[in-house]
Parts: sequence; structure tokens; C-alpha cells
Amino acid sequence: MRTGLRSPVDHEPQRHRDTERILVLTEIHHRLCASVPLWLVAVGFVAVAASPAEAQTREFMFRGFADVGSTTFTAGQSFDAVLGSDRGAVLGGGLELVLPQRVSIAMRASRFRRTGERVFVFGDQQFDLGIPVTVSIVPVQLTGGYRFDDGQRLVPYAGGGIGWHRYRETSSFAEEAENIEEVFRGFQVLGGAEIRVVPWAAAAFEVEWATVPDALGVDANSVAREFQESNLGGTTIRVKIAVGR
Amino acid sequence: MGSGVIVRGQFTSRHGRAPSSNNDSRPHFRRVLAGAAAGIWLVWAAADYAQVRTSLPVLLSEVAPPAIDRGLRDADPPRAPRADGSSPLRELDEPFLRGSLIVKFRPGTQTDTRRALLAQVDSTGGAPVSYAPFEVVAIDPAADPEEAARRLDVQPDVEYAQARYRVYPRFVPNDPLYSRQWNYPALDMERAWDINQGATPAITVAVLDSGVAYRAAFVRYTAQAFRLSPGGPIFRPLGPVDIPFAPAPELGGPERFVSPRDFIWDTAMPLDLDGHGTHVSGTIGQLTNNGIGVAGMAFNVRIMPVKVIAGDWDLIFGSPSVGTDDVVARGIRYAVDNGANVLNLSIGRLGPPAPALRDAMTYAVSRGAFVAVAAGNDAETGNRVERLAEFAPEIEGVVAVGGIGRDRQRAFYSNTGSYVEVVAPGGDSRVGGTEGAILQQTFDFDLVETYFRGPAQYRAPRFDAFTFEFLQGTSMATPHVAGFAALLIQQGITAPAAIEAAMKRYATDLGRSGRDDEYGHGLINPRATLRGLGLAR
Repeated sequence: MRTGLRSPVDHEPQRHRDTERILVLTEIHHRLCASVPLWLVAVGFVAVAASPAEAQTREFMFRGFADVGSTTFTAGQSFDAVLGSDRGAVLGGGLELVLPQRVSIAMRASRFRRTGERVFVFGDQQFDLGIPVTVSIVPVQLTGGYRFDDGQRLVPYAGGGIGWHRYRETSSFAEEAENIEEVFRGFQVLGGAEIRVVPWAAAAFEVEWATVPDALGVDANSVAREFQESNLGGTTIRVKIAVGR
Repeated sequence: MGSGVIVRGQFTSRHGRAPSSNNDSRPHFRRVLAGAAAGIWLVWAAADYAQVRTSLPVLLSEVAPPAIDRGLRDADPPRAPRADGSSPLRELDEPFLRGSLIVKFRPGTQTDTRRALLAQVDSTGGAPVSYAPFEVVAIDPAADPEEAARRLDVQPDVEYAQARYRVYPRFVPNDPLYSRQWNYPALDMERAWDINQGATPAITVAVLDSGVAYRAAFVRYTAQAFRLSPGGPIFRPLGPVDIPFAPAPELGGPERFVSPRDFIWDTAMPLDLDGHGTHVSGTIGQLTNNGIGVAGMAFNVRIMPVKVIAGDWDLIFGSPSVGTDDVVARGIRYAVDNGANVLNLSIGRLGPPAPALRDAMTYAVSRGAFVAVAAGNDAETGNRVERLAEFAPEIEGVVAVGGIGRDRQRAFYSNTGSYVEVVAPGGDSRVGGTEGAILQQTFDFDLVETYFRGPAQYRAPRFDAFTFEFLQGTSMATPHVAGFAALLIQQGITAPAAIEAAMKRYATDLGRSGRDDEYGHGLINPRATLRGLGLAR
């Protein structure tokens, strides 16, 4: 098993390509997180292994993208209580590498930020306390996917991956220890369809479901604890513009 | 006299117009004149007699000299402590009033049925009283009102019947001493005030107590003779005395007070003749950050003075009421009906249950008012159940408050029991001496409790001289909670039940882990409660 950073594709061209792909994924697995579930590796493997032979003749595609979307949070009651809504706009962007085998690897960062107010919850009553609280969530996600590219203009795709979600919560009158800045790990799966607008640009519509378990509801002063909600993830719909070829 | 002076003008003018005899030769006319003169004299004499007997106060002037600030009393010899029911004057009394009962009939009870029921206790009937769903019915003064109440209470058409038990202030005055207020740092109030600076005048806290030093006045009372103890020396009747009142400088101006009401004298002028209510009001809303004196919890709220208990001078002056369950219950309803958001009851009594007060407090909460009530100071003298506080756990929005000292331990006097819900600083002179009590502004007791000097030096009191006094008791703990409730309402927690829940949730657990009978849910934590909940912290 390799432990270095070098790509086996670049430095060991004599290996069988399928084996190399496995090694690439394994490298990433070890570099980023020793505990990436095997199913994620398996998804990549199956995607690559299932690639039809003719697809392997396609070229690499490297492009950047930007997206805008709306996330509906799993901890909907908690977000709604503090921020006034269980959903919010998310802006993001990243880089994507599409391999000739229709496999894509994308690194994406996004940001959600909203200001609400602290609350007190009693039964089914909620009392807003007028103390501003700002929540920002910045996920950095690594996603592997497969593109059902059969030469048509519309290209469906699906994928899954791992994400690191930096959660920051600050409020007025808080001591330093009463604010939060922590990173939680989660996973996501997504699917969408991309349409090529011009040879060097495409637009996509995408749905993503992310889970970030055990991130909320730990602290006694958490409204999430009141509602017994602990997941920072959610479902996001977004439109994406990708540029590059 | 200046403007606004009322000097029993009707009597003076009648006397001035009394017809003199003349030389009218018509005998019948002379007889008419003589008869008229005699009639006028009789009316005058009777009125004057009634004036003395009932000792109704006469407002002489609405203005008075400025209040006298006598500073912090730190050199006085210790005064004999007063506890509820232990006042020399009160020892002469029974715990209830004779000659009447509180009765609430079930809705729909016919008049004939009522008469028949009342006839069982030889009652001649009663009349509805204001701010009350019950009646105060007359019975034979020689009859035992407790026994009569028991007989009525078991009747199916009677919701409750009880004697008119007297209610007392809940404090244990301390040796007069000095220094500073430890109670607010103990509650982390500096940080709490960062979040909420003393609420606003939109919040009204009713102080149901001995009255409040809230205005200036000269009032003429008639001081009757009395004994301090059975068989003790008689304090001579002072007769008519003109008593000066001034507003406590550290409670603010007239705009600070709303809807004053006196249920002891049945007037709209609840002057404090004791000092207890003024001290309690100070903890709730003493002017703060003005470079003078001491601080209060919710220093911007309005205060509604509602006088429902009598001080010693009220008794000496012969007040028509002395502070019984019915009076307090009416005061509660009055306060709520006149817009109070928070009610402070630093009062209480022992003895049998108080259904009339339970009824009134339930009404208060149903109308959106939060009630803070003292848990009682009887821990070392039997720890008997404090009747005003005992039903607090059953009513969401009514909180029974125990007291702690500056060591955060239960104060020696603070009652324990299942009804204690939270604790707050009430002071404990056994920990830190006098400075271990609660410091607020009130009357200079040397000029109030003149009867403690003995008959020779006994003289009329004055209520226009103020000092900063250390007092202790659950009476002093309760206004911390009332002020705290005002802050919470201003912050947005407006429902009484939610206020109680918030107080309990954030209370700092003391004593045994979890709720216990000494500290309830623990020491109130205003700062954490005001901050409430974030999304994740």
C-alpha cells in the first residue's frame, strides 16, 4: 500500500488502469480521513469498473463551478426557532475533475450565514429574546460521482462523498467560551442533471442530501437539545454553472 | 396652609356658622334656632367622636418638606428583631379576625340557599366586596370563626369558607448596619444588566405590602392608647397627630408609580407606615447607576404600590383593616386588573390553608401576571407551612422563594418544604453579620419605631427620613425574583408559566443534586436565563 502523495497514475504507468483507480481512491481515503466508510470507496470503484470501454476514450475535463441553492436543514425546528426559517440560501463553488471514464471528483466549498435571535422554548411556545445570534456553516466537500454521459446534451449524474462542516455561532453578550467554532464531519449524496450550454460551459440542477450527525444539541443552552435535533445536515437544491473543458 | 390643604373644613365652617342667639321675639323661632344649634352641635360632636373612634386619616397636605437622607445606619445599637407575628402589638391579636368569614358560594347557588347556609353559622349575611369573587359575611363576634368556616366548608354549595386570617410581612429585621450589596454579584447581575438594563417603564411590578414611600403628604391620624405586651405599660393616646411623609429619594419621582391603592385604609394613598414595603420596592426597582445609594434589580420598571398589610402604626392609628386573606386577595385582583405584570408578595401567614388566596393567585396568572411569593421565615420555629407559598408549585406562574446568605447556603430562617421552588439572596446575619443581610433604602426606623423607647419617650413617628438599612428574610429574597421576572418579561418571555419554567431551568443547583426542599430548583440565574437558547450553545 502506498503512503506517499504522488499519484500512482503519474509515477507507475505500468500498472493496470483499474488497479490504479482503486489506488487513487485508497490514497484519498487515507489522506483525508481514515474512517471514510468502505461504501464510499465501493461507490467509486463500481463507478469506475462499470465505465463502458468507449467512455475511456474520452478526454479529461477540468473545470470550475459556482452554485447557488437553498438548504432545508434536518434540524428544522431548531433553525426555524433561532433563525426564523428552517432553510436558507447557500453560495458555493469549487473545482471538478471529470475522468474519461465518466467519473468525476469534485472539491466544493460553500457558505451559509444567517442572523437570528436567541430564544426560550416552553412547550409549544417560543419566546424570542432579541439577542442577536449569527450562525455560519462552511462545508468543504469532496464528492466522487458518475456521469451518465451517453453523448446527449443532457447529462444526469450522481455521486457521494465526505464533507467537513465548519460551524460557527456567535451571539451578543457572549463570553468567548459561549461562542462556537467547530468542524464536524459528514457525508453527502447528490444527483442532478447537467446541460451543456456552450462547448466550454454547462449549467446543472442538483439535489444533495447531507448528514452531519452529533453536531448539535450537545450543549444545555442549545435549542437543538430542546428539540432533540443533532444533525447539522440538510437537503440542498442548487443550480450550478460550470466553466472549463 | 398652602394650596391643596384640607383641614376638616366642614367642621370648621359649621362651627363658624353656628347661629348665635339674637333678640328675635318670636319664641317658636328661638326654639327653632336653639334646636338647630343643638342639632348642629350634636352632629359635630358625633362626627368628631366618630373621627376619633375610627381614626380615619385626614390628608392635610399633598406637599411636605424634602425627604431627609440620614445615610447608612452603621452606628446604631442593635434593635430587637421583629418577625412575622412577633410584634408586641400583634401578640395581642388572634391570627384571625372575629365577627366575619370569607365565603365563596358555588356559581348558581340561589339566594334562599345562601341564606339557609349562612343561618347555620348564625350569620346575618354579607355583601360582595370589590376585586373578589367571594363574600365577607358577618357572624357573631363571640363565635369561633374557624369552627364556623369548617361547618360551611363541607356544604356542597360552598366552594370554600375560611376565617379572615391575618397576613404579615415576611422579614426578620436585622441589627442596623452598613456596607454594600453582595446580593447582586451573587446573582451575576452585572452581566445580566449587560443584556437587559433594568427593563423599562412598560413593565409594572405591583408591591403588595405595607405600602410604599412614594409621595409627599401631611396626614392627620389619631393615635390610640395601646400596650406593647399584656400587662405592660400603657402608651398614652397621642390624639390627633400630623404625620409627614416623603417619597423615598432612591425610588424616583411620581412618574415611577402607577395605580396606587390602599386596602388597609381603603384609599388611593397607600402610604407606608412601616418601611417593609419601601425596602422591598428598593430591591425591585431602586434607582441605579445614578451615583447615589444602592441598586435594584429592575430599576426602570414602574411600581404599583398596593397596601394589603398593616404596620404597627396602622394599628395604633386604628386602621379599619389589618391585612387579612380577603384584603390580600382583593389586592391581588386589583393589581392584575390595573395592569400589573408582576406581583411581589413578600408577605405570608401560617395557620390553615388559604383558598381565597389560591383563588386570587390563579386569577392573577390567568390574566398574565407573574407572582413571586415568600416561602416564609419559620424554619427554626417549627418550619410550619407557609400558606401563601404552599400552592405555588400547583400554579404555573407563581413561584415560592426561599432565602440564602452570602455563602450561598440556605438562610437560617428560610422555610423548607416541597413548595420551595427557587432561592434568592435574602440575607443571613449569621454569615457575615449585619452586612450579610440585604441593603436597601427605607425609613429611619429610629424615627418610626418610637414605641421601642418606652412610654416616656414615645412620640409620633415621621416617615420622611430615610436610611439604607440591612434587612433579612424571604421578604428580601422575593423581590429579587419579582425584579428578575420583570427583566424576563422585558426580554420577551411574557407568559407567567414560561417565566417560571425559565427560572427553574437555569437555576444554579444548590444543596442536594436536583430539586430539593431547601433550595428548590436552586439559585436564580438571571444572566443565563436572559440569554436563553442559541442554536447549538
